[in-house]
Amino acid sequence: MARIELKNLRKDWGEAVAVTGLDLSIEDGAFVAVLGPSGCGKTTTLLLLAGIYSPSAGEIAFDGARVNDVEARDRNIGIVFQSYALYPNMNVLQNVMFPLRFKHVEPAEAERRAREIAALVRIDPLLERRPSQLSGGQQQRVALARALVKQPHLLLLDEPLSNLDASLRLSMRTEIRRIQRELGVTTILVTHDQIEATTMADRIVVMNAGRIEQEGTAEDLYERPETLFVASFIGSPPINLFDGHAESGAIKIHQGAMALATPVNGPVVLGIRPESLTVNGSGMPARIVAVEPMGREVLYTAESALGIIRFLEAGPDARHAEDDNIALSFSPDDGLLFDKTSGRRLDARVAA
Amino acid sequence: MATADTLAKPPAPALNWQTLAHSGKRRRSVSQSTLLAFLVIVSLPIILPYFWMVVISFTARTGGISTDVLWTACAVIVPAVLLYSVIHASLPSPRLRLVAGAVLLAIACALLIALIGDRLHFDNYRFLWRANVVEEIRSKATAGGQFPSVWTAFRNSLVLALSQTVIIITVASLAGYYISRFAFRGREAFLQGMLVLHAFPAMTLIIPIFLILYWVGLLDTIVGVMLVLATIELPFYVFVMKGFFDSVPWDIEMSAMTDGATRRQAFRLVVLPQVRVGLIAVSVFAFIRAWEEYIFVRTFLIENKNWVMSLYLFWVADDIMGVDYGIVAAVSVFYVLPSLLLYVFCQKYLTQMTIGGIKG
Repeated sequence: MARIELKNLRKDWGEAVAVTGLDLSIEDGAFVAVLGPSGCGKTTTLLLLAGIYSPSAGEIAFDGARVNDVEARDRNIGIVFQSYALYPNMNVLQNVMFPLRFKHVEPAEAERRAREIAALVRIDPLLERRPSQLSGGQQQRVALARALVKQPHLLLLDEPLSNLDASLRLSMRTEIRRIQRELGVTTILVTHDQIEATTMADRIVVMNAGRIEQEGTAEDLYERPETLFVASFIGSPPINLFDGHAESGAIKIHQGAMALATPVNGPVVLGIRPESLTVNGSGMPARIVAVEPMGREVLYTAESALGIIRFLEAGPDARHAEDDNIALSFSPDDGLLFDKTSGRRLDARVAA
Repeated sequence: MATADTLAKPPAPALNWQTLAHSGKRRRSVSQSTLLAFLVIVSLPIILPYFWMVVISFTARTGGISTDVLWTACAVIVPAVLLYSVIHASLPSPRLRLVAGAVLLAIACALLIALIGDRLHFDNYRFLWRANVVEEIRSKATAGGQFPSVWTAFRNSLVLALSQTVIIITVASLAGYYISRFAFRGREAFLQGMLVLHAFPAMTLIIPIFLILYWVGLLDTIVGVMLVLATIELPFYVFVMKGFFDSVPWDIEMSAMTDGATRRQAFRLVVLPQVRVGLIAVSVFAFIRAWEEYIFVRTFLIENKNWVMSLYLFWVADDIMGVDYGIVAAVSVFYVLPSLLLYVFCQKYLTQMTIGGIKG
């Protein structure tokens, strides 16, 4: 188990910058998710941590000691790849015992430890099988067991659930979380799925275009997104964003306008989460153009002076129909204002 | 909206599923038998000479050659094969097919023994235990002391083919792995260069190579031929092995390395087992290619103690063709046997070679 620090980490591929200016510190035993769209540099970060890639600049430290030049095999890291990367020529037990072969563990002891970890991830009845004879979920567990058997300083999970079906994903989420708690191993999960990140990790690091956009708890990211990217990436259905122009105490958006409590000037973006909007008598007039029942909630799409706007109401039955005219309002606290050019959130509010 | 209505409601069809099933079955069996017949016909020109060779080697005596044994054997075997194909098509159960096949085989064997049994003999194979067969036939004056024991040639061929296999499998797997995994300056040019090299007929180099071998003192040695053959053959096998390595995912290697293996250990313990089929296929082809080699050994090997099987066969044919076909045929059968056995046992790996190649 280890405390992980990244200091101003950078990786270039020739001209292209994969990650840059990465500063991050992870407490011993923490479960951190690195969340971002594909190509944002999250897998590169993971492979930098594992020692497969070496950084172009910056520092990686385990427990305060610089490990940049420590080879992958000496870093004592467990890694679960998206493809699981099980060794097809070995059976499950041999797969799980493989890492111990290089640690000069007595064969009997190695087998005891492999069986113990197999029991923990519940693959003990499968030990004699070949990877090709296992289902996706079972392969996933084997990969996890193999990563954990060496008692790693750090466990890296690269999109571990994306090859599983929906119900299996749900149970594996809880399972991985349980195992992580039980062993207390520092864990970094790389994913593009916000649900995976918010449900499994204590803290989430959102990455975009090779940089860290924001780190914090799921609540931080959702309630107080620091950048436009985080606001638009977190939340499903996604936040409503309206381009506008702020001038002399008001913003003009499309055909509408809104008073500002704090004066700002220049191009801004107003973000309102679909669930922050309520239908009541006095508000912004809108006409419903689409009704999508989603079970627990109903998602409406409406046309308003601001443009197309989506909002949620408790379901399962829809209370409005297409072409209904309604009025929408939201609390000023729920209107998030961003500077359009920098993408950063403004410390400003719309007026009530 | 009229079109939508017609689309939605097709005219109720009077479908008779049973008739359809029957005609489907019939069509399948007709096309299958046609295909089978076609394959049999086009394979005849290949199979017949080999069959004839085997027949000659077991029946011919010194002197002229007669075809009557061949035709008699064909008169038994062809109807038997035809009969079996009819049985195979009409009997659905594999067990019944097996029984019918065995009965048919027994009948065919009995007929063959009855018709040509008295003409079978192993005399033509006496070259296996008597070194000077050719001298006995041609008199010492013409062939005196020329011929080594066939086992010398066999051993030379074996040494050549096995060492060829070892060299090619070692170099091709290491080079293929390196080209597949590492980026290096001139990688593209190297790959294209190898392809271009393979496009030129190596035969055109035979005089320069002869001179080079002469100057380095490897002319008339197995080692010399070994090096030349390996050099000429390698580009192709490197390419094939690269294809196999390309299809092994990187993740597995990365995983092995984070598990504590060095790159070399990862290669040996994890990557190499994934390309086992490729290794087997390349070995078999390399072996057979060296076993069959004629032009280069004919040019570079001179003394009879260095003869390989193809040279032995050539000189036997050269000396006694027209006098004793039986021995020539028997030597041919003996020469073909190792290749044949290899093909039979490694067939399933060989067919996968192209798959690996295409992937790459």
